[in-house]
Amino acid sequence: MGDAALRYAGVSVGYHGRPVLTHVDLELRAGQRLALVGPNGAGKSTLIRSVLGLAQVLDGAVTVLGRSPAAARGLAGYVPQNDVPDAGFPVSARQVVLMGRYRRIGWWRPTRPADRRAVAEALDRVGLADRAGHRFGTLSGGQRQRVLLARAIVAEPRLLLLDEPFNGVDAVSQEAIVRVLRDLTGAGTALVLSTHDLTVARELADLVCLLNGRQWAVGPPAETLTAEPLRRAYGGQAIDGPGGRLVLIEP
Amino acid sequence: MNWWDDALHRATAEVVLAGALAGLIGVHVVLRRLSFFTMALTHATFPGVVVASIIGVPLLVGGVAAGAVVALGVAALSRRRGQDAAAATGVLLSAGFALGTALVATQSGFSRDLSAFLVGSVLTVDGPDLVATAAVLGVVAIVLAWCSRPLLFTGFDRGAAAAAGVSTGVWDVVLLFTVQLVVVTVVPAVGTILALSLIVAPAAAARLWSGRLSVITGLAVVFGVTSGLGGLYASARWNVAAGASIALLATGVLLVSWVLTRLRPPVR
Repeated sequence: MGDAALRYAGVSVGYHGRPVLTHVDLELRAGQRLALVGPNGAGKSTLIRSVLGLAQVLDGAVTVLGRSPAAARGLAGYVPQNDVPDAGFPVSARQVVLMGRYRRIGWWRPTRPADRRAVAEALDRVGLADRAGHRFGTLSGGQRQRVLLARAIVAEPRLLLLDEPFNGVDAVSQEAIVRVLRDLTGAGTALVLSTHDLTVARELADLVCLLNGRQWAVGPPAETLTAEPLRRAYGGQAIDGPGGRLVLIEP
Repeated sequence: MNWWDDALHRATAEVVLAGALAGLIGVHVVLRRLSFFTMALTHATFPGVVVASIIGVPLLVGGVAAGAVVALGVAALSRRRGQDAAAATGVLLSAGFALGTALVATQSGFSRDLSAFLVGSVLTVDGPDLVATAAVLGVVAIVLAWCSRPLLFTGFDRGAAAAAGVSTGVWDVVLLFTVQLVVVTVVPAVGTILALSLIVAPAAAARLWSGRLSVITGLAVVFGVTSGLGGLYASARWNVAAGASIALLATGVLLVSWVLTRLRPPVR
């Protein structure tokens, strides 16, 4: 299909001319959910940042929503890890979500009722309508993550990227996030999320990309999250446990 | 006699304008953790205004030029990998101050004016100084209001802002130059060295009282103006240097705010 949300062909990405991740070949279509799986430092975040034009594409061809990453900047929604934004900043949940509309409103025009409605709806969707006025820094990790998700979806992106969305997130928040993500992909949004949680990847993703310095496998979870590809990607961090089960160790 | 002909009246107007200006920009300096960078700017502004005074151009021009060199120098040094931005800033800070002192020493009969550059001389403020301060206050207020969204987004979540198409580097430069403009503008009131306390203390105090940006900004302006007026009054009443009493009062506001906000439940 010509209208892939994301296409990587023989790609190396990195910073300052140095590759962090090589041999990336994948294609993601509208409505599909892709999980980037690998140990810490595998290059998951770098791959996400390369989609946004924030990491260098050193080799190969990248197409994001039919354009180059730089030209697609602002079209893809991005949810950083919840500890990345400055929690000391005096902004309310509502103000954070409104940031997702800045591009649409323009930098200088006043907010319209439609924008305020969209912000309220996005907060409602992630189950935080009652926290709209609370300061971002006073919210729990899971609630912060949901606010950041609301900020991304309020822009109605066709491609949504989430960096470790379930890190430091309570069960209630994780459920709320998963529900929203399923709704979004059901409506045609393409989804990329990085995780080191194989259970999450297995349950949520249509496609899994196994990474560790390079792409080791890509395909449906049933084919990629099996002993052989995992052993290749995780190397010495994969050990054989009792009963023939593979155990992955995070250093 | 015109109201403006009285030096104390001019000084009063100057400290009100400078206090408001410092409070406005101080909020950004505090939230973006630019206090140390601002300190470097204030010290580097010193040789700039000395040179301007020697060659006879407006102090504002010399100060802005020197500040721009430092801003770009810090930006360039901190971009190099493995270079510590704080170390680079610290070196530039003392180098700027040393340069200013050396320049002052080359001018015979100049040392009398040294303290005016360092700690201000608000009672000698003239009409053009006042007009310049008012104009800069207008410009800074417009810039900060107009650019509030990209500045807020960049300050809160740099990566997401860049991903959303915000040119974060450009907005950094806009903010740094605005800070520099303010530093140079408040030199007549509090001097280059004491400018930092008038910029940082009111905003840091306001930050303790509220978690809302609009309230923090309003309070910072009020604290800045109060420090200016109170300091000027103390200076006239007890015959101490105005710049010093303004800086001390601003610090006092911060201390009192810190104690009072510790005594009550935290604000949300």
